[in-house]
Amino acid sequence: MKKSPEESSLEERLKPSIFSGSGFLGNDERPIDEIVADDLKELERHNIDKDKLAQLLKKAFDKVENGLGQEVQLSENLSGQFYEAKGRIPSPFRGDGVFEKGEARILHEPSGEEIIITALSLHLIAEHSFFQGKGSRYRLEPAKTYRLLKELE
Amino acid sequence: MDASILSQILIATLILIATGLLLSIILVLAEKKILNYGTCLISVNSGEKDLQVEGGSSLLSTLADNGIYIPSACGGRGSCAYCKVKVITGAGPISPVEEPYLSEEEKKEGIRLSCQVKVRDDLAIEIPDELFKIKKFKGLVEHKKDLTHDIVELRINLKEPKQIDFKAGQYVQLQSEPYKGRDSVMRAYSVSSPPSDKNNIELNIRLVPDGICTTWVFEHLEEGQEVSFSGPYGDFYLRDTDAPVIFMAGGSGMAPIHSILHYMVENNIEREATYFFGARSQKDLFYTKELQKMDRENDWFTFIPALSAEPEDSDWEGARGLVTDVLEKKFDSCSKHEAYLCGSPGMVNACENSLKDLGVYHENIFYDEFA
Repeated sequence: MKKSPEESSLEERLKPSIFSGSGFLGNDERPIDEIVADDLKELERHNIDKDKLAQLLKKAFDKVENGLGQEVQLSENLSGQFYEAKGRIPSPFRGDGVFEKGEARILHEPSGEEIIITALSLHLIAEHSFFQGKGSRYRLEPAKTYRLLKELE
Repeated sequence: MDASILSQILIATLILIATGLLLSIILVLAEKKILNYGTCLISVNSGEKDLQVEGGSSLLSTLADNGIYIPSACGGRGSCAYCKVKVITGAGPISPVEEPYLSEEEKKEGIRLSCQVKVRDDLAIEIPDELFKIKKFKGLVEHKKDLTHDIVELRINLKEPKQIDFKAGQYVQLQSEPYKGRDSVMRAYSVSSPPSDKNNIELNIRLVPDGICTTWVFEHLEEGQEVSFSGPYGDFYLRDTDAPVIFMAGGSGMAPIHSILHYMVENNIEREATYFFGARSQKDLFYTKELQKMDRENDWFTFIPALSAEPEDSDWEGARGLVTDVLEKKFDSCSKHEAYLCGSPGMVNACENSLKDLGVYHENIFYDEFA
């Protein structure tokens, strides 16, 4: 199907740019609609509510950000640390605004699994159900993310 | 197929292409002739500066062509929202691109994204006086020195122009060069050297994972290489009062405060000043010996580095814990203080809350928030 000018323009903004050196798609060759649809299907398959997951991510991000760079114990198995970065990054979706850089790295201590949460990724998930493409540094695998964060409920 | 039909199809195709080309040329010429806005007058700050300009380009680029550099990170694509200016008359309606970046209050005040305002008519605008002083500079990297495992000090010797005037605490926008398919970008870094060193600037740059400009600095920029930057920008500088001062910073937030402290020493500004610098462990500290020496040599100055994750059995004898906790242990009340904060939004918010609890008035807290 032919893409609308806005769809083509969004695809361009998702690629590596002057704002995001690696872009938002990683090495994922699927169009964004397909990435979003597949991730929503995965959430449904695991009976996970997307809004609930977004809230858990926000809760973890806020707690870690308030740690001012110190390691924060989020729960029995989860710890996190905030890494500051200077500047702001605009959302690839036109008109969404700009978001502070800096990332919260959350570690599941028993397994060593890590997820990285940013202010922009929180917004992309909450507003656009976009968890980013596979291979992107900031992709959050929906089911894995919930599995790690559910003890914060 | 009959040869005559083929030649007819070919002729028809050629006519179609030629017509398309002709129409395109007419459109380009029409845009130049019909949409010729002629000479427009941009009146800056109620006639403080009047610019006679050719209409047709964006306000951002037109001002830059006339030596007025409005901060911009996206190169005029309408996505960073850094280039806001107040347009009093002549801007036309707010475009859909600008709409999401402007609050209702800003819209009422006439604030616009200068990259999205096309100069079609005479304009009256207001910009901070500081923007008149912004210039483009070229210099050579004199040294690139590791300060910590993820922060480098860049010393740039100015070549064109050879001198810079700035206030201690201000920042510049460094331009990276293209590498590995990544475009050139502009990123803001505070100057860590004092204003008295007019022929050089020093920057503290922390490596950001996936950061376009910081990766360029760390992996591609070499000593002796030419670099470009513009500046100075920002309103983070020491206010001219006698109030005692609290400085709070973490990581590369050191830079503007380092510059301010040297400015104070050089100019005999002997206001009581306490500097809380937050880091995780000793490996994240830098300029420590220099600042401790400054502390010993100046009765008015106290330097307190605070480590939040230093191993308990280490040889560290200084303060431990978050800077906010260390601040609250040091002071009971700070109602007469001014505070200068530099760091991530989270750090700035936490410090502001602690300072307010200690009685510092909101209007006496100044930020150089990383955002």
